[in-house]
Amino acid sequence: MRYKGLLLLWLLTDLAVFIGSYAAAYFLRVGWILSTDFPFKPYITVVAITAPLWLIVLITTRTFALTRSQSSVRNLAYIIYSSLVGTALFALGYYFLYGLFFSRMLLLYSLVISTVVIWIWHLLYSMFQRKMLRANPPVFPTLIVGVTRESRALITKLNKGSNPLKPVAILDGKGCKDAEIDGVPVRGKLNKLEDVLSEGVTHLIQCSDLEQSLNLLSACRQNKITYMLLPSVLGIVERDEKVESLEGQPVTMVGPKENALMWFFK
Amino acid sequence: MHAFILAGGFATRLWPLTEKRAKPLLPLAGIPLIEYLVRDIPEDVPVTISTNANFKEAFEDWANSLNRSNVEILIEDVKSDDQKLGALGATAQWISEAKINDDVLLLTGDNYCGFSFDAFLAAASPDTTLIAVHDIKDLELAKAFGTVLTKDNSSHVVGFEEKPKEPKTTLVNTGCSLLPKSVLPIVIDHAKEHPDNVGGVFEELLNRGKPIECFSFTEAWFDIGSFDAYIEATKELVGGRVIEEEGSSIEKTECNGSVVIGERSSVSDSELTDVVIFEDCVIEDCVLSNCVLDKGCKIRGIDLSGKMLREGTILP
Repeated sequence: MRYKGLLLLWLLTDLAVFIGSYAAAYFLRVGWILSTDFPFKPYITVVAITAPLWLIVLITTRTFALTRSQSSVRNLAYIIYSSLVGTALFALGYYFLYGLFFSRMLLLYSLVISTVVIWIWHLLYSMFQRKMLRANPPVFPTLIVGVTRESRALITKLNKGSNPLKPVAILDGKGCKDAEIDGVPVRGKLNKLEDVLSEGVTHLIQCSDLEQSLNLLSACRQNKITYMLLPSVLGIVERDEKVESLEGQPVTMVGPKENALMWFFK
Repeated sequence: MHAFILAGGFATRLWPLTEKRAKPLLPLAGIPLIEYLVRDIPEDVPVTISTNANFKEAFEDWANSLNRSNVEILIEDVKSDDQKLGALGATAQWISEAKINDDVLLLTGDNYCGFSFDAFLAAASPDTTLIAVHDIKDLELAKAFGTVLTKDNSSHVVGFEEKPKEPKTTLVNTGCSLLPKSVLPIVIDHAKEHPDNVGGVFEELLNRGKPIECFSFTEAWFDIGSFDAYIEATKELVGGRVIEEEGSSIEKTECNGSVVIGERSSVSDSELTDVVIFEDCVIEDCVLSNCVLDKGCKIRGIDLSGKMLREGTILP
């Protein structure tokens, strides 16, 4: 409920920020005094019509996904892409409604301002949202399975970055000497799995014990828990793996290192 | 004489098969592991089985299904590994609280012993501890057990080392011993300091000059502590057959090696090699090798090798 409320607030504020940034572009380009040659009312009406369409485009880029880092370059790219589509939709919408084209500079202002302001807003809102989602009791308590160097680093990163997925317990197939890792208690071996899952865990991240993948997945399915797997469990440590599809069959792919531009084609 | 079977472990290495089931109640060729022990103990010997609160009902149900009235389930009041009394601690507590003043046949519930207890008990000498030993013929493997040194290859035990780093022998303790009533105070005393070390009590007895004899056997013996051991024990007991339990069915399926199909389970259009399927499973169009499927699994169209599937797994 807390997550849904925060998400709804984010979507609504995004609409407001989008409309606000177009209004700012108008005032910067046309002037602070409302122009009679290029009236504000039809302009802002088209912006208001365009805004939900722009938001749908932004949603389809999974910018609001729980696992998305708003500060990542990929996320910025998606925001720029959505803003471009938003500007195009606005220009088309204005033409359809009023049969007119207008200042190209205003479109450029709108594009730049909406991109920058939306990105900054997303950075701020995600910080606020993370804080709210991690507040006790956390909305997404996460179980880490497997104590490895990589899982230790992951726990530290999740905590340091205030990720919405808050590690609350650690289990290890063979047991572990540590009582806690970065403040997260090590609860024991996998025989404690049922106990831990029954405490309301929403996510499970498998970091080792490959031979138990099927059983961990089975437990997750039965308890409606989201399962995640570190690629290193499969021996993939290159950091450039991705899930692709071969004739509809999902495959995890790690390509040889080559020209970055080939990423788009291979 | 009184038999005492230790069955309180949480068997974490056999997870997920032991997630909701005590290891001694794991079916081995269709029969709970502990039943092999109990049914071989002479009828007139009372049996006490020590387990923990998690498995109370399962043990009681199983005990009720036996045609034997002198089996008692003793509950160690712990819910997790951290609170356990320890194997020797539990034994000592039972001796003290039940005021046992008799010889004790001490057994570990997760072992399968192929020899007859009649033969074992017949080998006992008065006022002498007797332990059943097996030659595992591998010094590396012996590191995981209590090793037993004998005098000039006789049955007279002169040394006992629990999990030695450098084993001197491949003769190992198999979790079956007869403790004469005269040594029970030593057991209680030793348990105060070493509640988890059953093997250590034999070292202590030797240190105190108490005689120990060994009963060496060549029949099969398995310490069911891991998935591999469980599969090996199944192969030994099933012996290349297919065991179809009540209500199970197999259609258009090739079975190789040792295969057990549990009650009400069905297998069709598949290939099985050394596979144990517990009750209420449905297997369709699968190739399974060296797998154990817990009850209620439903799998279709996949190949698996060397896997244990937890209860209720549905794939895909």
